[in-house]
Amino acid sequence: MTDYSSGLLLGAFTGLLLLFSTQAEAARPYIDDKKAPENRHDLEVIQKHLMDTLPAARKATVCIDLGDGSGSGVVVSPEGLILTAAHVTGGVGKEFTVIFEDGKKVKAESMGVISTTDCAMARITEHGTWPYVEIDRDDSSKLGDWVYSLGHSGGFDKERGVNVRLGRLVQVKDSTVQSDCSLIGGDSGGPLFDLNGKLIGIHSRVGQRTQENMHVPVREFLKNWDALQKSEFVGDGPFAKRPEKGKGFLGIGTEPRAEGGLSVHKVGRESPAEKAGLKAGDVLLKMDGVDLKTKEQFQDLLKEKAPDDRVALELLREGKTETLTLRLGER
Amino acid sequence: MNAKSIAFIVLLATRMATAAQTLETTYRTNGATVQATFESVRAVLQDCSAVIQRGRTEIAYGTVMSADGFILTKASEIGDGNGITVTVGEKVYPDPELVSTDPTWDVTLLKIPASDLKPVSLALDQPDPARGTWVIANGATTRIHRRVQIGIIAATAREIPHEGGPVLGVAFEEKSKKLVVTQVAEKSGAATAGVEKDDVLLRADGEEIASAEVLGDIIGKHHVGDQVTLTVERAGKTMEMKIELKGRVDVFGDNPDEMSRNDMMSGRFSERRSGFPRVIQHDIIADRQRIGGPVLDLDGRCLGMNIARANRAETFAIPASDLKSLADRLISQAK
Repeated sequence: MTDYSSGLLLGAFTGLLLLFSTQAEAARPYIDDKKAPENRHDLEVIQKHLMDTLPAARKATVCIDLGDGSGSGVVVSPEGLILTAAHVTGGVGKEFTVIFEDGKKVKAESMGVISTTDCAMARITEHGTWPYVEIDRDDSSKLGDWVYSLGHSGGFDKERGVNVRLGRLVQVKDSTVQSDCSLIGGDSGGPLFDLNGKLIGIHSRVGQRTQENMHVPVREFLKNWDALQKSEFVGDGPFAKRPEKGKGFLGIGTEPRAEGGLSVHKVGRESPAEKAGLKAGDVLLKMDGVDLKTKEQFQDLLKEKAPDDRVALELLREGKTETLTLRLGER
Repeated sequence: MNAKSIAFIVLLATRMATAAQTLETTYRTNGATVQATFESVRAVLQDCSAVIQRGRTEIAYGTVMSADGFILTKASEIGDGNGITVTVGEKVYPDPELVSTDPTWDVTLLKIPASDLKPVSLALDQPDPARGTWVIANGATTRIHRRVQIGIIAATAREIPHEGGPVLGVAFEEKSKKLVVTQVAEKSGAATAGVEKDDVLLRADGEEIASAEVLGDIIGKHHVGDQVTLTVERAGKTMEMKIELKGRVDVFGDNPDEMSRNDMMSGRFSERRSGFPRVIQHDIIADRQRIGGPVLDLDGRCLGMNIARANRAETFAIPASDLKSLADRLISQAK
């Protein structure tokens, strides 16, 4: 990693983030500008800020249930845009279930990932208006600020609810902030808040020592917002593995047809093709708008695809044409 | 903790030369300067918490429940109590009396010869403390000086069911459609009830047990702590036994091969960390040998007693009201 001077980076970020400074600013709590709380009143101020902002923060914090594991995330828009970690979603276009603290389950899918810094975006695919939190678009948090982390530690637990931990920002770097809010598996992708209840980071990773809890600052998300919204896969790890071209798997056997297209003679059991409803006897006319002529040509087209890529197949079934969109599996 | 959770990527060697600002240790949440703001509560903790040592090693903390020397601590950490000392305030009391143990709460009542201790003041007139409430508990200590660790209430008060589900605690083999006991686990309810090797298991809850599967289904319908009536054939005679089902982890222990990634990143967690009727949860990372002391609020009132470090991010305490009835019961039995 390049060792930039902090002055230079600060300048660059200030310029960039000014573009987003549209919201009215909540006053910075005085306690964040003290080296340490000095008396009972100071302690009560921290507690009051936390308790006042906690209800909204809890409502927007979700468990991301992947079936064989879980992480956390946070809703940042009423339409259901979610910020989480790249190592939670694992890639673009993955489908999973999102669970709110009250137990409500909704369907969601992942959008873009920044695999170098552990950012990921996802969206709730069901219609509705969702509880959400505001992002600290002014990038106003500083070393020593009091912060709190939320997450579904160890998986969703309705009886327990969201787990909250208090701490301070103990280290600030360009693409990572460290807090002494202790995190554990299942918290990954969950939100870190300042005392005004604004989102300042997403939980990413931990060290062996309990004070080593790393979060991706929201500026990393804001900087890459367009790519995340356009479901792009940015960077080459280590937090998510770029899907490999040629590893996409459909699961059918075909034969060329004299009248054009390819007729399906075999559909693999449990294959993506079978799950999407392809049947023996169907005739494939086009893939993603391209006329299908030979088996080799079809295979070449598929070689350009990676697992989880979407493919639109135009097919002829019982004399009618229809289009089927499906997602490739992994070979 | 039902679902498998995405484990964090644990950092190994990441001392990268990037420009970083770092907060001095003393200003961190549990740094000395921040902790100093809690001095008035520390003074309370000095009186109402007990340090329990074996030799020079701290093994647990205790909560002072009465002026005349009754102290509660975590049973599974002190074992038979041999060779332990109890320090309250600055005074060391060797060889405390082990009065009784409550296995449900994993609590032991100790008695030391004293008459003017300052017991905890239980916060009984309020509902469970809300998330975000400051809490103060024992940190690393010296013989004479208690230190604090600070944190907040982290989650909703609740029951923590036994890990691993209910077990009978016997191993058996199927011999011509009969289940014959080959082994009885020492800490199991079956051992307590007197099940022996070579016993033939005939019925459970009155139902014929033709296979291990049937028995598994019957046990699986129960909770830890329930009783199962087992009909057993021994030397040609049939007998009925009532067997208490215990938690799998309590009977067989944690299988190190099955330690989850969350456990691996959790340092020294309590061996017994499940099967509590009700707990409050906070975010103080109290090491296993610092469990058993009081959890205080900013007024120095006692919100509960630490009973388990569950993992890196969760510590459990017995709520004040449950602590009160538990202490009342154990102390009145002692008198």
